[in-house]
Amino acid sequence: MNRYIATFSSHFGALSYCKALKNQGIAAKLMPVPRRVSSSCGTCVYYESISAIDLDGCELDSVYLEANNRLECMLRK
Amino acid sequence: MAEKIKMPLIGGLVAVISIALVLLGNPPNMGFCIACFLRDIAGAVGLHHAAPVQYVRPEIIGIIFGAFIFSLANKEFASKGGSAPVTRFVLGFALMIGALIFLGCPLRMALRIAGGDLNAVVGLFGFAAGILGGVFFLNKGYTLKRTYGVSKTDGFVLPAGAFILLWLLLLVPSVLFFSTEGPGSMHAPILAALIAGLIMGVIGVITRLCFVAGIRDSILFKNFSMMSAFIALIAVGIIGNLMLGGFHLGFENQPVAHTDGLWNFLGMMLVGLCAVLLGGCPFRQLILAGSGSSDSVVTVFGMIAGAAFAHNFKMASSAAGVTTNGKIGFAIAFIIVVLIAVYNTFIKRKAGESI
Repeated sequence: MNRYIATFSSHFGALSYCKALKNQGIAAKLMPVPRRVSSSCGTCVYYESISAIDLDGCELDSVYLEANNRLECMLRK
Repeated sequence: MAEKIKMPLIGGLVAVISIALVLLGNPPNMGFCIACFLRDIAGAVGLHHAAPVQYVRPEIIGIIFGAFIFSLANKEFASKGGSAPVTRFVLGFALMIGALIFLGCPLRMALRIAGGDLNAVVGLFGFAAGILGGVFFLNKGYTLKRTYGVSKTDGFVLPAGAFILLWLLLLVPSVLFFSTEGPGSMHAPILAALIAGLIMGVIGVITRLCFVAGIRDSILFKNFSMMSAFIALIAVGIIGNLMLGGFHLGFENQPVAHTDGLWNFLGMMLVGLCAVLLGGCPFRQLILAGSGSSDSVVTVFGMIAGAAFAHNFKMASSAAGVTTNGKIGFAIAFIIVVLIAVYNTFIKRKAGESI
């Protein structure tokens, strides 16, 4: 299982994404955007999954893979 | 763990710098105030003619330089914009109306509390109420839409403007207005103020310090990291003021403050609401503006314009209290801000726009 951090253009986008992931049975939570990542909005979604998840309609900006205390951008909209 | 120690230390450092600036000449409880200092700059360049509040505050120039240079060196500088800039101008304008009714930005509110000014505690309650209102809209879908990459020149405009302002202050002061009495006449030496601003600018980029985020993150995520900086700032400020004799507990006779509780509350409520809708407090907007965000530059311009109008239209409070024009201005600004929030939360989605 990999750890991902998804950033958004708006807080509501993050809320929508988090809710959609939870509906799919994925453990996801809202948190402030880590210092290492730049983002338009201060809310990100942290989740654990096999792969980065792309969803339309929730103002997704980027998805980062967290590994060895580093963040690697896996997806940018 | 590192974060848990770092943020309170940063908050404490901000308090120490602020108290040092007061010792060096800044007005009491006003080591730093983004709103007051932008207002002073507006006066210094003749955008308003309130004689007691005209001075080019080097702290603001330092903050912009600090954020600009550090973000460039750190490869974090990014010219971005296009997220409803005119709406942001209006929100910055309205924020300033609220700040000048209260007499301070969130940073000065904390410094006023640290000086024993209980009027600022009333302001803090208003500030929190405004943030709660903003969070309500955030949770219901508020967005000003995403930012885009823009021309690099957009990101260089504000640092260049700050440089010209510093050049005028140092070499051609005759074109500027300077207060001979009142808060504008009280200031730390230029070099000390500039260095303090530079440090604050770097701190702002490194930590993303934001006085709105402290309360917002506590409400939204139960994350108290930013809040710990805010609390440490007040705690260290109180200790420092007690040691140096600057702590005077009470409502009456507080420096550059008035005792009208209702309007202290409402003024900061408007600041809190606008700041959440903008995504950051005035200090954070200044940091972002120095780091390439043209949306934040427009917000800063909105704040400067708001300050000029607040004084030209006699909406700004003084130690004597709140003005009738200020109350009318607040009502208009508040209605406009709520309309902006409602439209960008509910109405556009009803109209079928994607979020």
